[in-house]
Amino acid sequence: MTEYALRRGDGQRLFLTKNQIRDDLQDGMNDACELGSVPALSSDELDKLAEILMTPGRMVGVETGMEVPVTHDIGTIRLDGDQGNSGVGIPSSRLVGMMFHERAMGADTMELGHIDYSFKPVKPVISNEMQAMEVVQQNMIVPILYGAMPNMGLYYTPDGPFENPGDLMKNFKIKEAQEMTEKSAEHLTRDMVWIMQRMMKAGADGVNFDTTGAAGDGDLYATLHAVEALRKQFPKMYIETGMAGEMVLGMHGELEYNGQLLAGIWPHQQAKLLAKAGSNIFGPVVNTNTSKSSPWNLGRAVTFVKAAVKESPIPCHVNMGMGVGGIPMFETPTVDAVSHASKAMVEVAGVDGI
Amino acid sequence: MTTVESSKIELFDAIVAYNKEKVLAAVNKARTVMGPQEIIDALAAGMNEVGVRFERGKLFLPHVMVAADAMTAGVKVVEQDLPKSGGKEALAVCVTGTVEGDVHDIGKSIVSTLLQCAGYKVFDLGRDVPLRNFIDTCKAENGRMIGMSALMTTTMQGQKECIEMLKEEGIRDKVKVMVGGAPATQAWADKIGADGYGENAGEAVRKANELLGIK
Repeated sequence: MTEYALRRGDGQRLFLTKNQIRDDLQDGMNDACELGSVPALSSDELDKLAEILMTPGRMVGVETGMEVPVTHDIGTIRLDGDQGNSGVGIPSSRLVGMMFHERAMGADTMELGHIDYSFKPVKPVISNEMQAMEVVQQNMIVPILYGAMPNMGLYYTPDGPFENPGDLMKNFKIKEAQEMTEKSAEHLTRDMVWIMQRMMKAGADGVNFDTTGAAGDGDLYATLHAVEALRKQFPKMYIETGMAGEMVLGMHGELEYNGQLLAGIWPHQQAKLLAKAGSNIFGPVVNTNTSKSSPWNLGRAVTFVKAAVKESPIPCHVNMGMGVGGIPMFETPTVDAVSHASKAMVEVAGVDGI
Repeated sequence: MTTVESSKIELFDAIVAYNKEKVLAAVNKARTVMGPQEIIDALAAGMNEVGVRFERGKLFLPHVMVAADAMTAGVKVVEQDLPKSGGKEALAVCVTGTVEGDVHDIGKSIVSTLLQCAGYKVFDLGRDVPLRNFIDTCKAENGRMIGMSALMTTTMQGQKECIEMLKEEGIRDKVKVMVGGAPATQAWADKIGADGYGENAGEAVRKANELLGIK
């Protein structure tokens, strides 16, 4: 029986038959349906996913007419970066990195990001960042966002002024832990708004809140309020909000936005809230299970994202990369895994961008 | 009429509802028909369900902690019925932390919390932990397991180095090592000679139980 070369979630090579691929797609889809209470894919859609996965060739692309915009977050420093990560270590400035992505690699939007890539560390270097934004805007054509992570963990001791809720929880100081989360969220909202007010003054087209919710529901709460405040002040700015994971962790457990409990919400629920707050673009994330096959992970990811696309009032630009979107957890994910999963997201989940 | 079966259900439900008052009431009622160990087992079954619901986004960290607190209070009540030597002791000592150079804290803290809730004595060393500290704490506290987290590909090498240090100290065979964090995988755990890897916090606890032979 013919076996197809695929991947496990950790990047290992796997060989599966058509029936095994179909079974794994179904199981992955069922997992998403059960966890998120989202609709199942149709039998035709599962067949289409299987067909994509079985397409030979390391690189596949979407059908003509189905092309979508692509953007990059770390693109600013991907060429220059050389810390043992996915950077390629070519000495180049952030401007050069961004221009390469625009003019040589076909990126439709880009972002300027700081090496620390969290909002808080930008505060002391805000003048540098404003100047960099001005220079970038004078040299480039595509929309340029300012990108950083809300990263609320930086507001907890020892990095920040508030006692670490994780430590308080372990000592059963639950109310105190919740209070620290609330205070940190308030601080974080203020910082993000302050930074973006200045970046907009320097000519940014908008903001990319990247890996929102990484520190749990408080992190998302702070970001929703920042989005709301920025939308009010800058009615025309682009606001892209991408998530850190598929489900919002309930570190506080009781925070709400617009009457919706934030803990435990899935992509299709996140999309509606972010739209309500004022985001233009939602970046859904579905985590890759490193012990399962690529069909299992892709079936699951496409099911979650299709539901988000269906319910989202704003365009969905899905996160595709290391350990998300059905792509293996691998520093530089293999092109076969990335291109097959991306094609599936466009053609079956119907995403508006990547 | 109170029966063993109805009591087991009541204990289980009270823990899952993370309601301390209900847990204590259920424990006192159950003592008329059940032995202390049976009561503790029923409470533990409830805690397992709390862990599953946390994993599935149905319960959140504060609920897990309230349930754990309620379970501790319930166990304290029945401990007086146990023979003197039969008091509830920690399942084992675990030393956890995020390796040196890596300041990520949250995922590791959730694992530490769930291990604690499952009955382990946990020494959470925090983040950016010098590798030597894992070994020294393990030796000093008679640790049976080290759990190391790394959130970056640039710092996960520390997990490998710590395993090498355990070998140099001659205690590698006495200590189980689990690794976790976003870039860690089973393949990475196999490659560096770790004993276990958990896909998420709930699985980390199940894997720890399995590695240490705890049912």
